[in-house]
Amino acid sequence: MPSTTTTQRKAPTLDELIERHKGKPGALLGLLENAQELEKFRYLSEPTLRRIAEGMALPLSQVYSVATFYSFFNLEPQGLHSLVVCRGTACHTRGSLELLETALARLGIEGFREDESNSVTTPDGFASIRTVACFGQCALAPVVQVDGTIHSRMTVGKLVAAIEKLRKVPAPEAPKSK
Amino acid sequence: MSGKMVSITVDGASALVEAGSSLLEACAAAGAKVPTLCHLKDVSSNASCGLCVVEVEGAKSLVRACVGSVGEGMKVATSSPRVMRARRNAVELLLANHPADCLTCARSGSCELQDAALTLGIRQVRFPRTRAAPKLDVSTDGLVRDNDKCILCGRCVAVCSEIQGVSAISLAGRGIRTRVATFMDRGLAASPCVQCGQCSVVCPTGAITERDDTEELWRELAKPGGTVVVQTAPAIRASLGEALGMEPGSLVTGKMVAALRRIGFDKVFDTQFTADLTIMEEGSELIQRLTKGGKLPMITSCSPGWINFIEYFYPSLLPHLSTCKSPQQMFGALAKTYYAEKAGLDPAAMRLASIMPCTAKKHEAKRPEMRGAWEYWSAKAGASPDTAAYYDVDWALTTRELARMITRAGIDIARLPEEEFDDPLGASTGAATIFGTTGGVMEAALRTVYEIVTGSPLPTLDFEAVRGLVGIKSAEVDLAGTKVRVAVAHTLKNARVLLDEIAAGTSPYHFIEVMTCPGGCVGGGGQPVRVDQAKRLARNAAMYAEDRRLGLRRSHENPSVKALYAEFLGEPLGHLSHELLHTTYARRTD
Repeated sequence: MPSTTTTQRKAPTLDELIERHKGKPGALLGLLENAQELEKFRYLSEPTLRRIAEGMALPLSQVYSVATFYSFFNLEPQGLHSLVVCRGTACHTRGSLELLETALARLGIEGFREDESNSVTTPDGFASIRTVACFGQCALAPVVQVDGTIHSRMTVGKLVAAIEKLRKVPAPEAPKSK
Repeated sequence: MSGKMVSITVDGASALVEAGSSLLEACAAAGAKVPTLCHLKDVSSNASCGLCVVEVEGAKSLVRACVGSVGEGMKVATSSPRVMRARRNAVELLLANHPADCLTCARSGSCELQDAALTLGIRQVRFPRTRAAPKLDVSTDGLVRDNDKCILCGRCVAVCSEIQGVSAISLAGRGIRTRVATFMDRGLAASPCVQCGQCSVVCPTGAITERDDTEELWRELAKPGGTVVVQTAPAIRASLGEALGMEPGSLVTGKMVAALRRIGFDKVFDTQFTADLTIMEEGSELIQRLTKGGKLPMITSCSPGWINFIEYFYPSLLPHLSTCKSPQQMFGALAKTYYAEKAGLDPAAMRLASIMPCTAKKHEAKRPEMRGAWEYWSAKAGASPDTAAYYDVDWALTTRELARMITRAGIDIARLPEEEFDDPLGASTGAATIFGTTGGVMEAALRTVYEIVTGSPLPTLDFEAVRGLVGIKSAEVDLAGTKVRVAVAHTLKNARVLLDEIAAGTSPYHFIEVMTCPGGCVGGGGQPVRVDQAKRLARNAAMYAEDRRLGLRRSHENPSVKALYAEFLGEPLGHLSHELLHTTYARRTD
């Protein structure tokens, strides 16, 4: 059957993305971003990182360095829902540690240490909690992002309610690559 | 540099310094010592440690001297209260997350962080620990990484990528989670690491060190009735003195032999014996490849970091490698066959230690194919070997480890008499000595090959074209009408240049020498820390001095090597040579 023109563009493959970025200085960051968007669980798997290093002719350690530096990149499959707790100074002074602990407790996560990792996912893949250094919304501190929406002047009560609501609504679609 | 000078003021005194130089160099030239922890001359200036701050008049904030450059009329204060406060703060913050186990640290006494704390008069740590203690990386035979002692200066990352072109490690994570890491934090063994140990030489603290084999060796030396023999690599005699506090470049051959006897080794032999033997085998291999056909250029195979490198990065070029084992491994195979038989020793019971300038030698000794003696005796005994497999070399210790053993034994090396190596595996020539420096293997090979092919000695034995610390050296030699083109590279980044030429089919060379470390083995990863180019040159000069001191300067003149062929091996590249002195290589993946 001859293919018909559709308005929906097919997402590029990883190899196509690499081909597009190859040889351009500073292209790694954008490539990693696109590669993560390709992945259903919004993360960069080890095979993906290896393929990128090989395709871009970069040392594996350097690709790993960049992928671990930016909190945007995930090296583990992410949960269906995402909670991002700002742990910047302003949010911290207005109680973000308690918010983080509440979110962890509500989702039944134990043993998370901020000095070891910046994200954790529930074993059932329901939700991921991530900490970031600052959202740039300090005047509205403390802020927590729930499935992409930033909630300002968050309280423990509002957070608990937001988490309970997540259990009732379907998970958002994985973001599409442009 | 243009040579143009600018006048500046350092701590109130005026000084004339070269335009364009860094504040660090300028202050040093003006007599002001500015402390640094991360700066590594010619390699990296991350300006990450914050120790080298100085006050520049008119500047808003303090300036990091390692990356700031001088300008005409600049007024610099290197020890103002503001500078001192900033430096102390920087060190105190580093100490907050650094374990206070100096007393039991391998780098106690040579640690730059310890020095910094001492220099700045820090007597207490005001800040609490904020970082979780990471796990040790003991995955390799050669190196141990303790990230708890890491101050994130980035020197190791810089040498690994900028000097060696390996990039096994990088800085991963950010903020409090920043660490020196391999891909996926799996440890060095699961990375391209070649175990050259250059990272352990430049590490300011005890975060990367050689794997210590001294304890096991002390235990073995103390066992009654055992036979423990030792071999010493060429470069050790030019660096052991330095490791024990003597001037860099001190040549301590005889004193080193005396010290090893006092430590308790039953026989003190010389790896130079098998360096001469390497020339016989490798030289013959080269002549064979030149005359009868074979992969050219042929590349030397003495340097184990280099072998690890080509096995990982250029496996398709492995046929270019000489099949000769390194002198360390040739020695091991012969000590437990030829020598054991001669001395009436049980090869399975005798123990052999090597003193090497190298951390990769520890790995080389543990390669499964390096059990030539066991295979030899097993084949003699028939189908079923009567002993468990043993390695030809039991331990490879670095110069630093030997220095620690000598210190622990209370031996004052400066007062020891000069003693001679034991026979027969202690005889060597000047050609073997220069194996320890870049260009040395090439020069030694040419001295012998030239004479074998042309029937007359080289016009001059000093082959200047391949000497010195230039990264890649090349020369052309007329071998009885055949022009033989040779090249010498040290550091793996330079080796890459020659390998890429071979891969592209444009290499003009017949014979290439590669040494992994800057300056060759004198600059090896197991050598005294805090090395710089001047020290490498001093060690290098000591090697050439030893070459001139030894009466015999051509490997084929070594009487014990001649006897070895007559009594045991037969001829170079003969059947027994292939069994004991040659090896194979394989692709390596992470």
